[in-house]
Amino acid sequence: MARAIRSNPRLDLIVVSTCIVLALVARALPNTMRDPLATGMRRTFLAPLVMLQERSERGRQSLLQADAKQARVDSLALTSMNAGSLESENERLRKVIGLGSRLRWGFIPTEALHGRGVRDETTVILSAGSRAGVSRLSPVIAPEGLVGVVDQVDPTMSHAMLWTHPDFRVSAMSPDGTAFGIAQAHLTGSATGGYLIELRGVPFRATLKPGAVIVSSGWGGVWPRGIPIGTVLEEMKTSEGWARTYLLRPAVNPSDVYSVMILRRDRLAKGFDGVWQNTAQVDQATQRILVSGDSAARAAALAEAAARRAVLDSIARANGGAPLGVTDSARAVEMAPKPAPIRRPPVDTAAARLRRDSIARETIRRDSAVTPPTDTTPPRPPGATR
Amino acid sequence: MNMGGAIRALISFLIFIVLHYTLRPLLGWRAPMDFLILALLLASVRVRPSTAALIGFALGLISDSLAPDALGAGALAMTAVGFGASYLKAVFFADNLVLNAFFFFLGKWVFDILYFIGEQRVHGFELLQQLLLWSPLSAAVTAAVGVLLLFIMRPLLEPSPT
Repeated sequence: MARAIRSNPRLDLIVVSTCIVLALVARALPNTMRDPLATGMRRTFLAPLVMLQERSERGRQSLLQADAKQARVDSLALTSMNAGSLESENERLRKVIGLGSRLRWGFIPTEALHGRGVRDETTVILSAGSRAGVSRLSPVIAPEGLVGVVDQVDPTMSHAMLWTHPDFRVSAMSPDGTAFGIAQAHLTGSATGGYLIELRGVPFRATLKPGAVIVSSGWGGVWPRGIPIGTVLEEMKTSEGWARTYLLRPAVNPSDVYSVMILRRDRLAKGFDGVWQNTAQVDQATQRILVSGDSAARAAALAEAAARRAVLDSIARANGGAPLGVTDSARAVEMAPKPAPIRRPPVDTAAARLRRDSIARETIRRDSAVTPPTDTTPPRPPGATR
Repeated sequence: MNMGGAIRALISFLIFIVLHYTLRPLLGWRAPMDFLILALLLASVRVRPSTAALIGFALGLISDSLAPDALGAGALAMTAVGFGASYLKAVFFADNLVLNAFFFFLGKWVFDILYFIGEQRVHGFELLQQLLLWSPLSAAVTAAVGVLLLFIMRPLLEPSPT
């Protein structure tokens, strides 16, 4: 340490005495004067130091709370992860309860236990058996629709074949009864092929629009009538010339099947009126929306064409010529002393058809999001209405 | 002390003050080190006692402004410590780290004694506990940190050759 030269002790004593007196005066100040003095110093030349101290203390608090915050964030993340599955499970259970209340009787609620084997995506174990009233060939349903059928029954559990099974078949139809066919799993070997349904054997005269709901027909004695199977995605190209084959999006995804219901045999004969009415209503509403969309597009196209024609006509008249769209022969006829023909606004059917087709194409594309769209829909003849 | 030495001493002084308001609250120890005392002691041995008293008075007011209830106590204690350190610097002139550590320890402890007595906020057993337990601990920590900083900042604190 360096040493400074000490000199003039009297001055030193005077200075230190003054400092001590000032300190004692500051100590003796009343609060009303002490606080403004301290506040003034903090707000002026001490402000940077106060800011430094504040930031350091905040940093210390952050360090101290870092572990607790991390634990809280982890807990929240875990809770949110569970919340998603709980929410979906809750929604699904509500649907099951709603289905049970609509069925009223004759069903056995059960849990579907998925295996992890190669063939387990086509079968499930059900936690109800013959003691609960399950019998072979009992239909297995979910709130969304058809799941499968029981093929083996034990006293306490049973084995069900899902609709994804290669041997699974169900007689199906459109809700209005105009088209019938046999629904089976779409087995193409592709990644998504196992999760789609084919509707085979539909008569050639019966056409199904994309988005149409397909339900069980009730023929065959296993499945009751009216259980949703899926919705039409598109028509498939097949070698069969006498029948159509449609690709369906299943109503029930087999990987999402956990809570299902087994229908008892005595319930099948009583019918299922109103059980899946909501689904039919949704389908009808969808059809109505499509039809009204077509009508609106047609009306808009007509109005636009008429307005365009009127503007062109007025321009032509202003130029002293004949209105556009009137041929020479028409002009000759017009010059003749005959009553002027009534000119109807030309219907731009091509534009209207184009708009309708574009809307329908969008609908198809939207509905076929599950599978890559294939151009299997035959070209519609010009002028055909939907 | 020439101009270069004065500037280096001023830089060290400012570094100690900044450390007092950054590192000390960041660590938040129950017996904290006091960088203001270290700054005062290191400055006091380089100046006359009257200047040391003024520096102590200013540093005391700075520390008191953050605790307005004790306004003046810190100024009084630091004035006394600064003046005493400058007056007794011949005793601690030796370039000995242990002696310097004792110098820091003594300065901090004396400051705490004067401060807590002048503050008059704690009394009785609590005051004794503070002065005989926590103040020596804080003084020891201050001394240790002061020696460490002396070692680190030796190039800044070395007297320049004349």
